[in-house]
Amino acid sequence: MKKLISMLAVLTLILSVCAFAGAEGTTYQVGILQFVQHPALDEATRGFREALTEKLGDSVVFTEENASGEVPNCATIASQLVAKQVNLIMANATPPLQACTNATGDIPVLGTSVTDYQSALEIELVNDATGINVSGTSDLAPLDRQAEMIRELFPEAKTVGLLYCSGEANSIFQIKKVEEYLAGMGIECKRYAFTDSNDLASVTQTATECDVIYIPTDNTAANNTEAIANIVIPAKVPVVAGEEGICKGCGIATLSISYYDIGRKTGEMAYEILVNGADVSTMPIAYAPQVVKEYNAANAAELGVVIPEDYLPIGE
Amino acid sequence: MNITQLLNQLPGAAAQGLIWGIMAIGVYITFRILDTADLTVDGSFATGGAVAAILITSGVHPLLATAIAFLAGLLAGLITGVLHTGMGIPAILAGILTQLALYSINLRIQGLGTDLGSRANVPLSINKYKNMLVSLRNVGSFSIENPIWLMLLITVVLIGIMYWFFGTEYGCGLRAVGSNQQMARAQGISTGRGKIVGLMISNGLVAFSGALMAQYQGFSDVSMGRGAIVIGLAAVIIGEVIFGKLFRNFALKLLAVSLGAIIYYLVIQVVLWLGLNTDDLKLLTALVVALFLAMPYWKSHMAARRMKGGKPVV
Repeated sequence: MKKLISMLAVLTLILSVCAFAGAEGTTYQVGILQFVQHPALDEATRGFREALTEKLGDSVVFTEENASGEVPNCATIASQLVAKQVNLIMANATPPLQACTNATGDIPVLGTSVTDYQSALEIELVNDATGINVSGTSDLAPLDRQAEMIRELFPEAKTVGLLYCSGEANSIFQIKKVEEYLAGMGIECKRYAFTDSNDLASVTQTATECDVIYIPTDNTAANNTEAIANIVIPAKVPVVAGEEGICKGCGIATLSISYYDIGRKTGEMAYEILVNGADVSTMPIAYAPQVVKEYNAANAAELGVVIPEDYLPIGE
Repeated sequence: MNITQLLNQLPGAAAQGLIWGIMAIGVYITFRILDTADLTVDGSFATGGAVAAILITSGVHPLLATAIAFLAGLLAGLITGVLHTGMGIPAILAGILTQLALYSINLRIQGLGTDLGSRANVPLSINKYKNMLVSLRNVGSFSIENPIWLMLLITVVLIGIMYWFFGTEYGCGLRAVGSNQQMARAQGISTGRGKIVGLMISNGLVAFSGALMAQYQGFSDVSMGRGAIVIGLAAVIIGEVIFGKLFRNFALKLLAVSLGAIIYYLVIQVVLWLGLNTDDLKLLTALVVALFLAMPYWKSHMAARRMKGGKPVV
């Protein structure tokens, strides 16, 4: 008898769950997998949520998970989101994108804060689209214009030190490109790779032998701008950074994209897919809607760098 | 939050637990059998992933790639072993040193064939390499391709091999090295070489597990081994606390380790399902491991209190 009752209980539970799911037909379940707690990634997630919430209001439900920087957590959370049968997954940064892409071949996956989809997914982009259930936004600020910026601000510079974390695929990709552009301008580049925050200070110290230092959108550097500033400012070596956060902490100038903007853009793409039935596999990878030349007023004054008029000061 | 969702998530936890279970068996060999804490594993796990990924992307069959990853793990263990026994560096420090060195080595392995010569992340998309042994993609399906079946098979075969090996004369010698070094040496066993062999087997298994993990999650990353030792230890200890009374046989003890890894992932899956903020996940992990580590200690205290005047066995 006991068994029967418990079986009935389970049955009602399952049925009510099904009924619940049926009644809420217009609710969109959106899973978010963010790689690590980090100001830029947080901004992208915020932009994504705000854009979708503005359009869908209460009919969108978010499941937001953070892998806390541990790679194996990405697979755990990805399989959890797939099991939950969410309608769409937003993968914030490269390892989540890779884990989610492998976890599902059906649920649309939108990446953001990913620099290069081609190397992250090992696919050829056709018309900027992946051809599989993946699309999204890139956090790449045009690297040729960043190289231009170095020459514009520091025409005298002969050597540029490229400072980055050897463990970050995105940084290596950018370093390679910037190096090509600078070499094309006849500027010599030297690579200074650190492995983590522990040897960052000593590697930065070595890099001050160059005339200018360039830092890409490197997560480790972004988390340690104070440490970098304490070395480069006294050494009077200007830093050109790949994103605003790094520039704010230790840089002179940057070509800035806003992570909030690309998050929002990703949210708009999600809306197209969820509501208007757009096909994710033919959606082109989107870039930041606007790029702004920015400078760090305090650091520029400190090092006596003259900033052209078309640069905007970074707000506090 | 509903129960069917949780049920849907269980296969993922089981598959991941089984993969980590192999890694945990490796940890068991050093931690319990050899009685040394080996921290090489954080590095050798990623080495396994790196070797497998770079071979698979260059066209080698995943099965062979995984086997070669095992060999790479043996090498990693050899380095720690030589640092420890040949150069007199304490085991824990030797492991840390190897782990450190492996970070650079793993970057180089992953960078083979690229013009930069070093790479942090190698994608292994199931869309492209359809013959990979295990994949996250199939974990929800009821087909033969579901990684759980293969992982079960691998685990059973592996436990069988370990059971056989540690039952041979040489394997018994290894166990003697761990339980009483002086005695083992008095019996004419080379304890130094024994430790090296133990470390090699352990790291071989860890790299093997890393190779499977890279295929499962669809990429290899230099930082994928971060925190691996904690998961391995957690699995060993959870397995011992829960099944210690039941499982006396050596093969069953290894099985308990594998089950421990599955339970570890089930617990994580359940707390995520309950709505825990993932920001707190590491704190929770540390608490779970500390709790399970403390349990045998508390038990011995309680037992001692029951005997009047008895002192706790520490």
